[in-house]
Amino acid sequence: MNHIEILNQINTIFRRVFENDSLHIQMETSADDVDEWDSLNHTVMIVEVEKHFNIKFKLKEVLSFQNVGDMVNIIHSKVTSA
Amino acid sequence: MNNPLRQIVDSFQHYQQLPAFCIDNTFYTYRDLAERIKGIQNQILEVGPVPNSNIGVMTFNDIETYASILAILFSGHAFVPINPEHPADRNEAILEQAEISIICSGGTIHQDFTKKISGVKLINTKILQFSGTDFLFNANENDLAYILFTSGSTGTPKGVPLKVSNLNAFLRSFFKMGYQLDEKDRFLQMFDLTFDLSIMSYLAPLCVGACVYTIPLTGFKYMHVYSVMEEHQLTFTLMVPSILTHLRQYFDEIKLDNLKYSLFCGEALYEDITLEWAKCIPNAVIENVYGPTEATIFCSRYVINRQDPNKNLNGILSIGKAMDGVELIVINDSNQQASMNEKGELCIAGAQVTPGYWKNEEKNNEAFFIHEGQRFYKTGDLCYTDESGDIFYSGRVDFQVKIQGFRVELGEIEFHARYFLKSIAAVAVAVQNDLNAWQINLFVESDKIQKDELLEHLKAHLPSYMIPSAIIPVPVFPLNTNGKVDRKQLLVTLNKTNIS
Repeated sequence: MNHIEILNQINTIFRRVFENDSLHIQMETSADDVDEWDSLNHTVMIVEVEKHFNIKFKLKEVLSFQNVGDMVNIIHSKVTSA
Repeated sequence: MNNPLRQIVDSFQHYQQLPAFCIDNTFYTYRDLAERIKGIQNQILEVGPVPNSNIGVMTFNDIETYASILAILFSGHAFVPINPEHPADRNEAILEQAEISIICSGGTIHQDFTKKISGVKLINTKILQFSGTDFLFNANENDLAYILFTSGSTGTPKGVPLKVSNLNAFLRSFFKMGYQLDEKDRFLQMFDLTFDLSIMSYLAPLCVGACVYTIPLTGFKYMHVYSVMEEHQLTFTLMVPSILTHLRQYFDEIKLDNLKYSLFCGEALYEDITLEWAKCIPNAVIENVYGPTEATIFCSRYVINRQDPNKNLNGILSIGKAMDGVELIVINDSNQQASMNEKGELCIAGAQVTPGYWKNEEKNNEAFFIHEGQRFYKTGDLCYTDESGDIFYSGRVDFQVKIQGFRVELGEIEFHARYFLKSIAAVAVAVQNDLNAWQINLFVESDKIQKDELLEHLKAHLPSYMIPSAIIPVPVFPLNTNGKVDRKQLLVTLNKTNIS
């Protein structure tokens, strides 16, 4: 799975969690860009992403996420090393 | 500690070179802070307000905001924190009610609000002439220390003024709880400055010469909280329980050996998650503290037992017993003191209780009463006391809820929704989601509504924690036998149709 495929799959999860069907996230998208992206939705989103890709983020990894791209990179490294 | 606020002044003398605040990884010593307090006091003196004026402070995460609060308090004035992120209309209502003619601010104020404060003298706390550290201390016991505005069901925020004597009474009781604290301690300050738990979080450490660690205002709070706790090895934290809800999935990675005290307040604290948290903080005493803004920050506590079972009601830990100088009683439906295990409204008396709501005689007549010669405040919290005097919280007697620790009158949300919807009925209901966190659902009696426009209207008038997570149209509201909208039935409908 490459970065773009991961991004597309995350986009579907984001639309569901943030209840926004017109959402188009990019690698640079951060919480500042999405109104619905609050701390509660963030936690729900992380859980959904973990379920979808069958991975588990470390706390340090979650703390390092500055934007969607950071998350995509970590997902990529986890699914390719699995 | 006879006069804890005076004790803070002593800290400035004894610990000049020690850090008082750590903000965005920058340390400020007691001397740095004293210089700013003096500078701000000079500016206030130049404007020359009458004694005991109410002075606004725009709340930013910077040293000038904290210096402003202390400068105002020590000058014998009352500080009124104003969150620049809250809607301009709401902030304007606060300015008007508190008759504020001076505001201290070190940051950018939204244009909407700037227009509304044209008649107010703005002190720019980022431009100060430093002229020493010998700031004034004129805070007398009878002066007002601060006014906080909480959610009010009429759509207008409600002012809760607290005196210097209330604040000193709180700090005295706090330090009588046996905490071993000194200038080497490191405290967390995670709260919005319009929320009174922030006041303990920065004043208690200053009393002992310790350092206050704040968190950034943007981003996710629970992450900042954990990062600061871990990076700076904090020793004392007061948090809302919802922080644990977010961190829970990472508990097995968390080990904070240096934490000495972990206090929770503001929401129901569940025993299961608390005991899991206990493993992350092996050396800390964990306490559940409780109290409304009207009785100064908090006024009861329960110490969690790591080994034996804890006292709880449906998994929610007891709020324990009254702190020193506080009297807590439960009053039943017949306005009599309730017997053991009988539920009723929790009422508070003692030196921490507010002199009364700000210019609101009607609300004061409702909320305060005299019982056996003492003046009590009715908390609106439904509680009971067990055989050993421990108190258990079992919900609200009215429709108030707590969201992220903030007290929210659902009526205030309904007020603004109905204003926008004209004659259409709207009912706000608080529900617990899968993460045990509370969220607000707004039901609107209509089959089609302009959700986005309604949401925009609410965002323009209410702070973010009061914005509903979902707006649900319902063609006809179910009614209960009293002819009132049946809130429980609304939720049943919601679950059936599985709208989320």
